[in-house]
Amino acid sequence: MISVTPTALADSANKIDLSNLSPEQVALSIDNLNLYYGEKQALQNISMAIPKGQVTAFIGPSGCGKSTLLRCINRMNDLVDICKITGEINLHGENIYGKHVDVAELRRKVGMVFQRPNPFPKSIYENVVYGLRIKGENNRRVLDEAVEKSLKSAALWNEVKDRLHESALGLSGGQQQRLVIARAIAIQPEVLLLDEPTSALDPISTLTIEELINDLKEQFTVVIVTHNMQQAARVSDQTAFMYMGDLIEYADTNTLFTTPAKKKTEDYITGRYG
Amino acid sequence: MDSLNISRHISGQFNEDLERVINLVMQMGGLVEKQLNEALLSVSQADEELAKKVLSNDYQVNNLEVVIDDECTRVIAKRQPAAGDLRLVMAIIKTIADLERIGDEATKIAEVTLQSLSSQHKELLLNLDNLGRRVLECLQLTLDAFTRMDVEAAINIHKMDEKIDREYEAIMRQLMTYMMEDPRSIPQVMTVIWSARALERIGDRCQNVCEYIIYFVKGKVVRHTTKEDMETL
Repeated sequence: MISVTPTALADSANKIDLSNLSPEQVALSIDNLNLYYGEKQALQNISMAIPKGQVTAFIGPSGCGKSTLLRCINRMNDLVDICKITGEINLHGENIYGKHVDVAELRRKVGMVFQRPNPFPKSIYENVVYGLRIKGENNRRVLDEAVEKSLKSAALWNEVKDRLHESALGLSGGQQQRLVIARAIAIQPEVLLLDEPTSALDPISTLTIEELINDLKEQFTVVIVTHNMQQAARVSDQTAFMYMGDLIEYADTNTLFTTPAKKKTEDYITGRYG
Repeated sequence: MDSLNISRHISGQFNEDLERVINLVMQMGGLVEKQLNEALLSVSQADEELAKKVLSNDYQVNNLEVVIDDECTRVIAKRQPAAGDLRLVMAIIKTIADLERIGDEATKIAEVTLQSLSSQHKELLLNLDNLGRRVLECLQLTLDAFTRMDVEAAINIHKMDEKIDREYEAIMRQLMTYMMEDPRSIPQVMTVIWSARALERIGDRCQNVCEYIIYFVKGKVVRHTTKEDMETL
């Protein structure tokens, strides 16, 4: 006889135990990461494991360090002169801050999409194949295939398939954002970082992108920073709550939004002042 | 109300919405308590007028249930409550369903008063007095615990139900003997059984409300668990 406990019913099939991940389940592991902008410490001793093939969301008030942490994952902070980092971020057991890491290669593995859609002033087609061309891919058939596949994955193909060679700037905001996502996934990254990808979009475009994120996790590990807590609750499998540079609570999303363990988390997600 | 910590929302509107809902639940609890009290009084004093009043007032309980349900739906739609707020709204929605049923049980008890029992059988109803008082006390304590969202009180009340169940069983045994001795009395004794049963059910529903209190405060589901599980809270 099969016995089903209520908790077993509530847990979805892909729920995993964050405190006990096997090495194969981990896409990224962040260990004792500290980050300073000059004198100011922006991240304090962050340690967490981001599971593979799932959506992990970072939430927290402005200035809590969530975007900074996200940017660390593909070394975007290298561009900030006064920024100093200690600790490790491991991708496949290799520290991305190691001496011999090729940053361009890292960013190919770890793609990123920003708050405002930033298509290049080129055609839709050229936007998608940009990364591939840089890699030296010029075979028309390979490029065509990549365009169709990426645009389909980004749920944009049906809307643009008849005007692939028109300017990308003629698309709506929501379409541009999906185009940028298509551009990011065309080079088949392993991890996709999304920094408030819907904050400049209307609610319907937002829902389209959220739906897309859900589909994307089948192929990629997605890490998303969002100001919209309901969005984190809707799209993510894990949620990390950050506050003033500290990782306060990191738990599966269902737990975090119904029974958070820490009072600070509770106060933040219920909209209370501390 | 401060123990609920609702007044600390950044959104004053949200505070007001939640406070309004909680006040309505208190109002409903008070009304249900009054209904049960008067139903029991109508039985012990054979006061038919009072019994009729209980029956005619049940609609107020039902109305409040609908109004509170409505308010909760609106809070969910407009505020998307999370964590403690979400658990509070869920606890309220479930609590009012139980309160409404307690109101129904009260009318069942009041109906007994209106049945023409022979004076001999009316004495049977005296057996219910003790059980009735205990159940009423249980309901009062439950509402009190709900007002303060007091987990400790909720756990104690939860245990109280055992006594109610034992008393109910004792009454049943007594009534059973009565029926066996005099089968002609069965229809009338059955009436008494129904009201004893109604009282016992009210005890169970108070237990449910206590479980919702524990769920709200601790975030733990204690429904359908053993006494030992409750002890570990």
